[in-house]
Parts: sequence; structure tokens; C-alpha cells
Amino acid sequence: MRKNASGINNSKQRIENKNNDLDLYLKALNSAYSGIIITDNLQYDNPIIYCNKAFETISGYSHDEIIGHNCRFLQAQDRSQAERKIIKESIERGEECKIEIRNYRKDGTLFWNELFISPVKNDDGQVTHFIGVQNDISDRKKAEYDLREEKSHVELKIQQRTKELQDKESFLSSIIETVRESLLVLDANYIVLSANRHFLNSFKVTTEETVGNLLFDLGNQQWDISSLKEMLTRILPTNNPVIDYEVDHIFPHIGRKVMLLNAYRIEFEGQYKDRILIAIEDITEKKEQDRRKDDFLSIASHELKTPLTTIKGLFQILQRLSAENTDPKYVSTLDKITAYIDRLNLLISKLLDTSKIQSGNLELHMDPFEIDKTIQDAVESMRLAAPDSDIQLTGNTGSIVAGDELQIIQVLNNLLSNAIKYSPESKKVEVSIHKVANFVKISVRDYGMGISYQDRLKIFERFFRVSHIQKKFPGLGIGLYVSHEIILHHKGTLWVESEPGEGSTFNFTLPIVTNK
Amino acid sequence: MQPKKIMICDDDRGILEMLELFLELEGYNVICEINSTHLTKQLISHKPDLLLLDLWMPILSGDQLIKIIRSTTEIKETPIIVLSASVDGPEIAGNLGANGFVAKPFDLTDITDKINSILKN
Repeated sequence: MRKNASGINNSKQRIENKNNDLDLYLKALNSAYSGIIITDNLQYDNPIIYCNKAFETISGYSHDEIIGHNCRFLQAQDRSQAERKIIKESIERGEECKIEIRNYRKDGTLFWNELFISPVKNDDGQVTHFIGVQNDISDRKKAEYDLREEKSHVELKIQQRTKELQDKESFLSSIIETVRESLLVLDANYIVLSANRHFLNSFKVTTEETVGNLLFDLGNQQWDISSLKEMLTRILPTNNPVIDYEVDHIFPHIGRKVMLLNAYRIEFEGQYKDRILIAIEDITEKKEQDRRKDDFLSIASHELKTPLTTIKGLFQILQRLSAENTDPKYVSTLDKITAYIDRLNLLISKLLDTSKIQSGNLELHMDPFEIDKTIQDAVESMRLAAPDSDIQLTGNTGSIVAGDELQIIQVLNNLLSNAIKYSPESKKVEVSIHKVANFVKISVRDYGMGISYQDRLKIFERFFRVSHIQKKFPGLGIGLYVSHEIILHHKGTLWVESEPGEGSTFNFTLPIVTNK
Repeated sequence: MQPKKIMICDDDRGILEMLELFLELEGYNVICEINSTHLTKQLISHKPDLLLLDLWMPILSGDQLIKIIRSTTEIKETPIIVLSASVDGPEIAGNLGANGFVAKPFDLTDITDKINSILKN
């Protein structure tokens, strides 16, 4: 009995122990992070017969809502996933499988389920149950998805950027090939990296004999030009960029070229540095035209002066021969002719002045003089010459300037006669002289027609005439150009302030040498 | 008193005739030469007291002529006044040893003043 009793006790004990173990296992299952279910494969439609707490959390359903369902209830309406077929086949064959499948919580939200299914077999090898372990991998999936999205976005961007760059490059290279200026790119050792079409055409060379060669070796050393070397090796490194550097060179095959060179050291971050871009403007033709124009002016004024000399001489002889004839009309007629001969001579001289200035032959006789007195005298003689005008002079500087007094008088005469000429409605002209720092500033103010902004930009150019006034006020367009050049030669500046309809103020400055 | 002899060399007939008329009125004996290549020969044969010389002339220009005159024994002392409308006239005249320069177009009194001051010496 004891033995029996103890046997019963033992089996009771065993059952109790087993129950304790089962409790422990259930607790373990419920504290797992993964959702776990068990389905009964022997029942119709393989219903869920167990789920742990984590499965409730993952799916959003309660235990009682889950039990009895086939697992597919988690797929909601999303029935077309390829993974379903894998599950189906594994269950039919009684095999394990591991898949990632889109499932839906009770509230309809999507979660990615990493599902591991494994069959439980009885001793006969029959599959009685399946155990499903699920993990919500939505966060990981989202991260993967984001990464993929980001990657494809970046790829798209790269494609776009590449295309933009290609477009830009073909745009740039079409500009480079089209410009009517020669362009060369050199490396730091003056090897030609590229040359545009205009360069090849202008200097009658091919790409093959240019690119990859030392600049100074090109075309049998015809580019071995000392001033070019000087610019590249000495001036450019300390003085980047070099603008409008003039090179005059005789090329053996193409003859003399006068070129304006602009050079820049260029750097393209991460790709290269110390490259040199040279832009070459061929100004040979322009120089030649300028020279011809100067020659023409010089010859024309010389040739005009020759018959004028004869006319003037003959006229003076006539005046002398008729000294006894005192008829006032006769005398005043002769005086008028004298005035017009002088005016003609003045016009021709002005033409010659421009050609002198243009060819750099303007002779200045620099001596110190009292500027106040010079201005007073010039104003006084203009008052005599134009008695109708009302010229007012203000200011006194007591300064001595160094310069060619006759030239300065010519400048003031130009400005005064312009002020009178272009102010037919207003007689008043104000001349003022002031000391400004170490300069004297002379201003000539009129109340005439004024000058538009566009015309103000060009008014000091040679032969420039404001088009609409040419008929009313004919002129050569020389006075202001010559005045501007004269003041420039004196290291001063000449400028204008004006508004159309409100008159103009021409100002010029001259550096002071000493004060009295 | 024998009138002073003045020779004028210019390739422009108008100037020649005008100066000839004027200088004769002033009482000078005037000889004109329009062809610069004949000038040296004329100077040697006429021995003028003074020469008025243009600069820009075809074949032989004024500056070349001054050099020739200054190196030709019989006429090297001839006083020369250069007449020119050229910009660089005064410089050329000065450098080559001319005795005076008058810019064209000139006042006739400038011519007589220059001639008188040179002939006085």
C-alpha cells in the first residue's frame, strides 16, 4: 500500500510538477518579444489554438478574437502577395518556412511580419500542429524602404545632374567654339591643353600640332615671344588676372599681329589647379584702321592749311594795298573775312590736335602758373568775344598749378563756347574756381539743353556728336575730346554733370604745385 | 643800296606766288623755285641772302635739302627759315640747324619780322 500510495503520490507529484513546468513555459511564452501561435493541423482549416501576449500586441486583436481563425485573417484584403504561396506549399508539405509578409492589425494599419513556421509531427510523422513565430519588422522594413527610396532618389538626382552638366558642357563648348576670340588653356608648364576653333583658324594651325605641345614651341617656335613669356612667367603669377596686355609680333607665316591678351589662372576645386586661360583678341586690323585715320587726319589738315596760307597771305596783301581806302563798309567787310579765315584755321588746327593726341604727339610745355589769373583772363576774353552772354566768375584759390597754360586756356574756351552755344535760351554761364584738397576744381555751369545719360557716356569720345543737335548746332565733335585728353595729360580729370532740360556743369581738376 | 635777295622753295604754286608778291612789295629781290631737285643748283648760281623753305615736298624734302645745303661749301652759310604746317616742323627745323621756323598759315608780319631779325645779323 505504502508502495502504491507512494506510487500515487509520486504520479500526483509528477503531475503537479508537470503543471508547474507548464505554467513556467506559458509564462516564458508570454514574456517573449516575438508573437507565437500554434495551429491545429488536424482540424478543418488549420485554426489557431494558442497565441501568446506578444501576438496580441503585434496584431492588436485579443486572445479570444484570435483563437479559431486561420492565420490568413492577418492578411485582410491584401491577398495577392507571393509569400502566401510559400506558406501554402510549406504547410501542404509539412515543412518549415521563413517569410516576410504584409499583415494588418485590427485597426487596419499595415505591419511587416517576419513569420517563421515550423511543423510539429507525431510519432507517425503526421503533422499535427504548426508553430508560428512572428516579429513585427515594420521599423526595419521602413528603414530599408527609406534607404531604397533615398538611393533611387540620389540616383535620379545624379542622372539629372549628369545631364545638366552634359548640357552645360555642350552649351559652354558651343560658346567657346563660336566666340570670335582665340582661347587657349595651358597647364602650369605652359603645355596647351585645348585651343578653340577661332585660335586654329586665326593662326592657321591644326589641333594635332597645337594640343599637347609647349606654347612657346608651337609652329616652329613662332610663339616664342619674349613679351608673352614675360607676361606668363613674371606678371601673371603676381598679378592674376592680366588684362589687355598688348603683344605686337611678326609671325613667319601669317605676318604681323597686334594682340590684346587677357590671362587668368584658373582652379577647379578637386579636379585641377594652376591652369592658365588665355584669351587673345586680334586688334591688328583695328590698329591699322586707327593708324590710317590718324594719317588721314594729319595729311588732311596739312593739305588744308596750304591753300589757307595762300588765302591768308593774299588777303593781308590786299588789306595793305587798300590801306588808303577808308570806306567803313569796305574795312568791315575785310575784317569779317579775316575773322572767317581765322575760324577756318582754328577748325583745321583742331583736326590736327586730335591726330596729334591720337598718335601721342601732344606737346605740353609744363610751367607753373597762377590758375586764378589764367581763368580770369580767359573769361574776360570770352566776354569780349560773346558780348551777349552773361558770364559770371566766382572763387579764388591763390594756387599755382604746373601745366601748359595755353592748353588750359583752350580747355576753358571750349567749355565756355559750348556753354554759350548749347544754351540759346539762357545767357547765364557761371564759372567757379575752388580749392579741393590738393587740386583746383574749375566748374562751368550753363542753363541750357542738358545732356542725356546715354550721351554723357560718349561725349568725350572723338568725333562724337549728339545726333539730334547736329543740324541745329553743327560741329566736328572734337572740342570735348581734346579737352579731356589735355586735362588727362595734366593728371587731372574732366567730367560732366547734367540733366536734359536743366543745363550742364563741366568740371575739371588740376593738381596744385604750391599755394601763394 | 642793293635789295636783299630772297629765294623761296615750296611745291605749292599759290604760296610761291603770294610770297613773291608780298616780298617784292616789301622791296626784296625774290627768286622762286617750285622743284626741290633744282634748289641746290639755284642756290649756288644765285647766292641768295636768305632761303624760305617748305618741308613736305616730293622727291627731295625740306629736311633732306637742309642737310645737303649745310654740307655744300658754297652755300652752307645760307640762312634758312622753315615754313611748314607740319606738327613736327619746329623740331625738324631746330635739329637740322635752320635759322628760324614759321608755322603755316602765318601772318605776313611774322615772315618779315623773322627775315629782318636774321638779315640784321
